[in-house]
Amino acid sequence: MDFPFVKEAISQLFSKPSCAMYPAVESIAAPRYRGRIAFDPTKCINCLMCERVCCGGAITHTVEKTEEGDKITRSFNLGCCTFCAHCMDFCNHGAIQLTQDYHMIATKEEDLIVSGTFIKKPPVKKAVPPKPAAPAAPAAPVGADAPGGPKETAAPAEAPKPRDDGKPVQDPAKCVYCTICARKCPAGALTVDRAAKTWTLDEDVCVGCGTCAAACPKNAIIM
Amino acid sequence: MFKKLIEESTGKSPWLFHINAGSCNGCDIELVSVLTPRYDAERLGFKLAGSPRHADIVVVTGPITAQSLPRVLRSIEQVPEPRCIVTMGSCPQSGNVFRGSYSICGPLSKYVHVDVDVAGCTPKPEAVIDGLALATQILQEKRRAMK
Repeated sequence: MDFPFVKEAISQLFSKPSCAMYPAVESIAAPRYRGRIAFDPTKCINCLMCERVCCGGAITHTVEKTEEGDKITRSFNLGCCTFCAHCMDFCNHGAIQLTQDYHMIATKEEDLIVSGTFIKKPPVKKAVPPKPAAPAAPAAPVGADAPGGPKETAAPAEAPKPRDDGKPVQDPAKCVYCTICARKCPAGALTVDRAAKTWTLDEDVCVGCGTCAAACPKNAIIM
Repeated sequence: MFKKLIEESTGKSPWLFHINAGSCNGCDIELVSVLTPRYDAERLGFKLAGSPRHADIVVVTGPITAQSLPRVLRSIEQVPEPRCIVTMGSCPQSGNVFRGSYSICGPLSKYVHVDVDVAGCTPKPEAVIDGLALATQILQEKRRAMK
């Protein structure tokens, strides 16, 4: 009589179970696991890109007017989230991170909401400097057109400098007025007229998120 | 003495009934993986029941489609009190990406009281075990309250 399996069966009796002993032994999620959202309100600039790309509609915000500025509360409803990490990928300022924490158990709906509050100050309006700056931008193309002949020498001289307040500047030498920046702008601060070849920025609306500069196919926008 | 023994042992063997209310099957697969040998929730006493009449805990997955709504409610009504309703994944809590569709009647909390929400799309099996453990505690509390 031959029982080839007896040895195997007896060895299995004394081996450890293959099961993950979860509640007794803590298990750590994979390094790039997309779990609970961590929101850093100090980095957020309220460009609304995350709300725009969220397919589950999990991201909302409320605005409360205070003396210091707009008090913005952004909340992420994890009960509505698909954990696709689009918000994290699209956030230019790294304010949203998906952590390895997977313990998302709740008995109430409020337990699944991650939120953060920050105060957004209105843009500081300078009394005198903006006025010469505003006509200066349309004046630059005029100045480029006026010399007519020496265009090549004029172009490097008027290369725009990045602004101090982190808002975009257009380089008229590179811009082809394709209007992609105006379409990508989450705040709707840019107006580009293709026929008239004008590029205007609404400084009060712009949040300085950098989406226009990233989207520009000609690298004509400087942040 | 026997009553106490029965009370303690029922807490250690909650039976599950799983309702798929239009789920994409992701959560269903994770629930199966919780019950099969790798995560083995059966070592904690959880067992899948074939009929809602035998169940203590109802696990609902999916965004509650118009077709499934009357069946879901009928199945839940058949579960004897005390019962505990667990939603698994984002769909039964809010509708997730299907929210706003003409064929979605969710969330489930509009129709019945939901005891535990397990968030995730899909939740990790460990999170499901956590949720079921919490559901068992709630179930024991409900049993004591009924006496």
